[in-house]
Amino acid sequence: MISKRITAALASATTLSLVLAACGDNGGDGDDTSSSSGDTVKSLTILDYYNNDPDKSLVQKGLDSCASQLGVTIQRETVPGDTLIQKVLQQASSKTLPDVLMLDNPDVQQIAATGALAPLNDLGLSGDGVIQGMVDATSYDGKLYGLAPVTNTIALFYNTQMLQEAGVRPPKTWDELKAAAKTLTKPGRYGIAFNANATYEGAWQFLPAMWTNGGDETDLTSPQVAEALQLWVDLVQSGSASKSVINWTQGDAKDQFVAGKAAMMVNGPWQIPSLQKTPNVKWEVVQFPVNKEGQTPVAPLGGEAWTVPLNKDQAKQQKAADFVKCLNSDENELAWAKARFTVPTKTALLDQYVQEVPSMKVFTEQVRTARSRTGKLGDKWPEAAKVIYQAIQLALTGKASAQDAFKQASGG
Amino acid sequence: MTDSTVRRGVHTVIGVLVLCVMLFPVYWMVNASLQPSGNTLTAGFLPLDPTFAGYRRALSEQGDNLVTSMIIAAGTVVLSLAIATPCAYALSQFRSRWVSAGLLAILISQMIPGIVIANALYTAYERLGLLNSIPGLIVANCSSGIPFAILILRSFMLSLPPSLVEAARVDGAGLFRAFVAIVLPISKNSLITAGLFSFLFSWSDFLFALTLTTKGGVRPVTLGIYQYLGTQVQNWNAVMATAVLSAIPAIVLLVAAQKYIAAGAIGGAVK
Amino acid sequence: MAHATLTRTTEASGPEPARRSRGRRHRGEDLTKLLFVLPAVLAMVALFGYPVVKNLLMSLQDYGLRTFFTGDAPWVGLRNYTTVVTDNLFSQAMVNTALFTVGSIAFQFVIGLGLALFFHRRFPLGGVLRSLLLLPWLLPLIVSSATWRSILEQDSGILNRTLTGIGVIDDPVPWLNSPSVALIAVIGVNIWIGIPFNVTLLYSGLAEIPAELYEAGQLDGATGWRAFWYITWPNLRAVASVLLMLGVVYTIKVLDIILGLTGGGPANATQTLATQSYERSFIDFKFGEGAALSNILIAISFVFAIFYLRSTRRAVDE
Repeated sequence: MISKRITAALASATTLSLVLAACGDNGGDGDDTSSSSGDTVKSLTILDYYNNDPDKSLVQKGLDSCASQLGVTIQRETVPGDTLIQKVLQQASSKTLPDVLMLDNPDVQQIAATGALAPLNDLGLSGDGVIQGMVDATSYDGKLYGLAPVTNTIALFYNTQMLQEAGVRPPKTWDELKAAAKTLTKPGRYGIAFNANATYEGAWQFLPAMWTNGGDETDLTSPQVAEALQLWVDLVQSGSASKSVINWTQGDAKDQFVAGKAAMMVNGPWQIPSLQKTPNVKWEVVQFPVNKEGQTPVAPLGGEAWTVPLNKDQAKQQKAADFVKCLNSDENELAWAKARFTVPTKTALLDQYVQEVPSMKVFTEQVRTARSRTGKLGDKWPEAAKVIYQAIQLALTGKASAQDAFKQASGG
Repeated sequence: MTDSTVRRGVHTVIGVLVLCVMLFPVYWMVNASLQPSGNTLTAGFLPLDPTFAGYRRALSEQGDNLVTSMIIAAGTVVLSLAIATPCAYALSQFRSRWVSAGLLAILISQMIPGIVIANALYTAYERLGLLNSIPGLIVANCSSGIPFAILILRSFMLSLPPSLVEAARVDGAGLFRAFVAIVLPISKNSLITAGLFSFLFSWSDFLFALTLTTKGGVRPVTLGIYQYLGTQVQNWNAVMATAVLSAIPAIVLLVAAQKYIAAGAIGGAVK
Repeated sequence: MAHATLTRTTEASGPEPARRSRGRRHRGEDLTKLLFVLPAVLAMVALFGYPVVKNLLMSLQDYGLRTFFTGDAPWVGLRNYTTVVTDNLFSQAMVNTALFTVGSIAFQFVIGLGLALFFHRRFPLGGVLRSLLLLPWLLPLIVSSATWRSILEQDSGILNRTLTGIGVIDDPVPWLNSPSVALIAVIGVNIWIGIPFNVTLLYSGLAEIPAELYEAGQLDGATGWRAFWYITWPNLRAVASVLLMLGVVYTIKVLDIILGLTGGGPANATQTLATQSYERSFIDFKFGEGAALSNILIAISFVFAIFYLRSTRRAVDE
């Protein structure tokens, strides 16, 4: 115990001198320090929110292989998803942030804005070859703060058997979607399930409709946005979707689909493993329909980025950056994408990936044009997202029309 | 005689009916824990096609956590009662202008949202090295146990005639000895009630478990349940099964404690 | 009190009997008395005093996401308070908090008292049934709210299925989906959670009333309702007032249940001060504003506490 404390004191003394040294020579020879002192780093701490199998152990495998490549041991901590930020804040205030930190991509800019993260460009990483949307999400003030090996998005799942029985083809436009949903609705079954709850999740599910129609978070009172909201309202008011969508999570939507109580659902590929557990439900995926033919479907980019919190210990910081680099290697991107039904973020890998995993074709196509949530508003995105989900709630409960809902929700 | 037997039988029937209504959600949870998909949407009233997959998983993964929860809850009961009982006695029997100030402080303490306490304790624990420790969680859980126990015990002890203790004092016993020898046995019922609630508070605590642990070592079962609710994957049958399992040891304890309460009441503690 | 009531405490309150034996033991005894309360005082300061002070300071600062990383939290005076009070949702959150608190407590208490009186009559299996009644309490709230959400589900929930099945309602009730019903449903679930607490405390209160009082009352013709009114209720008052007080204090800050069932929705119909405070702190990361709201919450409870203490002191004085 005592010796540990002494080591800690010594360590902090040395880091101080390192910082001073770094200040002196302006950090110009970053490469040199990393190679000479890199070998002294024996372990890295990691924090992420893949707290549940199979994700937890699949991610562990990737982490382990990078650890052995870099010759370090890792101490990994996983926390439930919605408590990650709280944990990060606690650790930040007590100066105990991990060496490598996973963040959901829309959170990266907010955390980077606090100055807690190390710019990865200075540490030999770059976003070259990565889907633009993801680079947007993980950059702040022109600097790269995180890299995501894999991404995901949402699209329209449909129950092949139900569509076949009803003689309905997978919808391509909103009109077709509404008609299909109506035809597929029967006693005890809704045409479509989606999530419109009062959380960021509800806002995220609304984005394919909003963006595809040309709506934009920088002007939420535009007619394009209102039209998209009208689609949600029409689906619910015609009885094609349950009124409960305002409380459903994406998990609930999946439960409805699996239970045969919804013929279609808006959801992401992360549900595939659990869909595979009920093999009697046969399904396919199409891109989210467009309002008018000719529009390009634009969906939001999901997925988590790996970042490096600022560290006074330069060698450790460099090692952590190397670790993130390793996680984003081609092999690792492909391995994680295959195992976890996600999509690699490097455009060069997409064709190969679709060849190897044909069931991910639609999602992969959608990812090519997908946008990040924070691409335009940066760390102001959460405020816009809040307006979006509150407007959806107002419109779906009949408290405001689709036209007025956004004005009301933004306090106007 | 037979008439009253019948009437008591009727009471039992009514009691069972009341319980059925009150516990329906619990039953529904058990039902869900046995459903193959772990989702209640397709569930009928009975689990006709039960699967124990959720239970197998819960048992193998949550066994240690149940023990941890048990230790923490028991520790909370002991520490809370040890600290609260003398204080409750003082607040009920000693005459001092500080009494109402003390009461006010206790009441205020109950108004403070748990998250405020948890955040403050986190920083303190970090310095004291109490994070990720069973004693740390016991102390934190006492924040619900102690004030509650003081209030409950005091409201019962108010009715103790001071002459009881005075008689013993005349015989030469010190204040503390009189307290242990006379006040404690008489207060058995309320001690059990206060202990019971301290136990329940601690057993069902989630907030402190979440904020005051940072790694896997010490993990109460409520946190274990939460681990099944991933960002992207949810295992409802494992969640429900763990909840059912976590209820079992606590029920056993509650039923055992109730016997004491009944026995105490029949004995007529205050003569 | 106009009517003479039979209570246990009447004979006990007299001139302070301790005075007789004072004198040489005086100083040592004061020390002992201090030792009775000292551990509790220390615990209270550590577990509550410190957090409260921290929270008060935070509410006067611009305490945001950045603060955690840089330690910077500029003082802003009362700005956080004016921000939260002038917010559109504040008045609705106040009304919802009041409805939620009053509705929950009234029903919890009345139902709890009814059940406690029922179980007080001894009958076979009574004790076991009563312990099982505590079960709802044992369930982690996250599990309870998930279960209730599936029960209250508008289309396939078992409650609507049952009610339509037996012909009580024609159309499914949108329990959690309509802004006009959701608050009632949330209160209902909270009542369910609170009943065990009320039953147990009131039952222990009843158990402490000596049977002799009832025997004596019987001679005076006090049975049934009269026995309840002249014997049970006066003797239960101390427990009941603690219980109601705690009820207010606990209910006003309820958070998990609402978050689990509706997340404050639909369309903010179930937002309370507690959910708003949570949202500001942990969704918006404006911890200063969140702290200001929770201090407002604490202040409201505080007013109740003062009322409670005054009423109990009056009761003691009588």
